[in-house]
Amino acid sequence: MNCAVLENRPLAGGFFYLSLKPDQPFGAITPGQFVMIRCGDGLDPLLRRPMSVADFAPDGSRLGLLIQQKGKGTELLAELQAGAHVDVIGLFGNGFDPPRGRVWMVAGGTGIAPFMGYVQTHRAQAGSLTVFLGARSAESLLMRDVFERAHVALRIATDDGSAGHHGLVTALLEKALANETPPEMILACGPEPMMTAVAALAARRGVPCGVSLEARMACGFGACLGCVTKVKGPELYVTVCQKGPVFDAAQIEFGL
Amino acid sequence: MSGAELSVTVAGVKLKNPLLGASGTFGYGLTYEKFYNLSLLGGFVTKGLSLHPRKGNPPPRVAETAAGMLNAIGLQNLGVDRFIVKKMPRLRQIDTAVIVNFFGETVSEYAELAARLDALDGVAALEMNISCPNVERGGAAFGTDCKMTEQVVTACRKATKKPLIVKLSPNVTDISMFARAAEHCGADALSVINTLLGMAIDIKTRRPVLANVTGGLSGPAIKPVALRAVWQCYKAVKIPIFGIGGIASAADVVEFALAGAAAVQVGTMNFVEPGILPRLVRDVGALLDEMGVKRFTELKGAAHGAG
Ligand SMILES: Cc1cc2nc3c(=O)[nH]c(=O)nc-3n(C[C@H](O)[C@H](O)[C@H](O)COP(=O)(O)OP(=O)(O)OC[C@H]3O[C@@H](n4cnc5c(N)ncnc54)[C@H](O)[C@@H]3O)c2cc1C
Ligand SMILES: Cc1cc2nc3c(=O)[nH]c(=O)nc-3n(C[C@H](O)[C@H](O)[C@H](O)COP(=O)(O)O)c2cc1C
Ligand code: FES
Repeated sequence: MNCAVLENRPLAGGFFYLSLKPDQPFGAITPGQFVMIRCGDGLDPLLRRPMSVADFAPDGSRLGLLIQQKGKGTELLAELQAGAHVDVIGLFGNGFDPPRGRVWMVAGGTGIAPFMGYVQTHRAQAGSLTVFLGARSAESLLMRDVFERAHVALRIATDDGSAGHHGLVTALLEKALANETPPEMILACGPEPMMTAVAALAARRGVPCGVSLEARMACGFGACLGCVTKVKGPELYVTVCQKGPVFDAAQIEFGL
Repeated sequence: MSGAELSVTVAGVKLKNPLLGASGTFGYGLTYEKFYNLSLLGGFVTKGLSLHPRKGNPPPRVAETAAGMLNAIGLQNLGVDRFIVKKMPRLRQIDTAVIVNFFGETVSEYAELAARLDALDGVAALEMNISCPNVERGGAAFGTDCKMTEQVVTACRKATKKPLIVKLSPNVTDISMFARAAEHCGADALSVINTLLGMAIDIKTRRPVLANVTGGLSGPAIKPVALRAVWQCYKAVKIPIFGIGGIASAADVVEFALAGAAAVQVGTMNFVEPGILPRLVRDVGALLDEMGVKRFTELKGAAHGAG
């Protein structure tokens, strides 16, 4: 679907926030679902790039994407100006379960994207939502204001100690799980080592944990079978684009 | 509305138009029903089926390259039995040509599959993928050894009366030898080409990107190679050819027809633009009008000249 770029806001550390208005609304969105976005209109880069929907209008008439510049695809997206057009297809994937009781969200890097939509969609339960946010330093803490405005509890960890806990966000989570009543749900999105650690901590405390996985995707809609992840059980491989990207952490064989 | 006649008949199978979805990029067809009505297509070829379900290769299975991609899916599929029970009832209701792609690891597995599929109502034709390792012969692909190609095509020919399409591997020195071998052993048509063997290395990790190390290259990057292969096969055989490899536009479709293709299959570009096949049906019609061509069939092999 053709989308107009409403805004492209550069953020710290090579991140940017892209706000899009589709020609027709995408309809209802579950936080954690993703779109496939074309980067440029040529044949190189060829494949669309998967991007989580960060925040959105409830009817899907506006989508916000939080993107980290990585390679040639995201470089082209970073150059988009307000008024330009991009080709986006979706929505794909399952998304996160709604809150059951208290929910702790653990995010690293662009992993906070789906939680922006989560706290907005479930704002009625804001009092039971906590976001654990990890970053390199105070200035690379993304979208902090979004979570503050949503009145959810925010716990911060930075690698250099310039804000919040000095160290990894998973260490902060470990301490909280040891000293406090554990929540009813943990949700995680971020780099694979972070999610592996969160899944292990959640399992140790017996807390159900949903993880949003990344995989190399050629299509995004189940046609190529390229995006599989390894699961426990006889199926062995399942497609991240269709069966995920959010999985019950207990099902996943981490550390491929 | 275009005035040009797009219907073609290939190996006795009547196709509404010369545009089909290629094996392994089209699932079992149904994946694309959420994007458009499949009856708009000339047809499609299913993901390759084996006798038993296959789980495929470990990830990463895909990597992007310049104007193309590498894949090492490892022929993951649900197996012929579950295909028949779970997919065929719905596929029979779709008004388009359903071609079933299949492969084995031994000659007898190929023949058994051809026999099982021969009995299936609603299957317009069978397409043999011979780019698979022969486990009885140290794993060399059936499609890269002329003798093995002859054996496996002969065995399948005996096992089925359905139109038999042999899909050739481009990873050979002279593809026309394989085209002749397939024709000689009873193939009704050829699909040209399957993916080209390639690889990519991540300079940060200093390791191959694909877990399988090597994979098949597809997409617009391979179009000139595919076109050359169709050209050579057209010169070598009388049976019709499905042109495959990097097709992304109506002009590409016409190019393949001029090289000798009777119809074409589109693979990788379905990932980029899921609605590309119905778009190409419209665009090819418009392009033929513009070129003053009344029937798509007039184009076949025209680039070879009168001699
Ligand atoms: C479900 C899902 C949601 C995602 N959401 C976001 C998001 O909200 N924000 C964001 O910045 N990024 C997100 N990503 C990662 C993003 O897709 C990649 O960073 C991006 O594709 C890199 O493209 P590139 O051309 O800049 O990099 P290149 O390195 O040039 O990419 C080359 C190829 O590798 C693939 N690739 C590279 N890194 C990744 C990766 N980490 N995951 C999957 N494929 C990769 C690309 O898609 C492309 O095919 C998500 C990935 C998935 C699977
Ligand atoms: C992800 C993927 C999976 C494929 N799987 C099969 C397969 O199971 N059997 C087969 O005969 N060809 C398979 N192919 C090859 C395609 O059918 C086609 O021959 C090739 O990709 C070239 O066409 P293209 O450039 O339009 O993609 C596959 C290709 C891709 C990209
Ligand atoms: S990305 Fe193609 S099947 Fe998941």
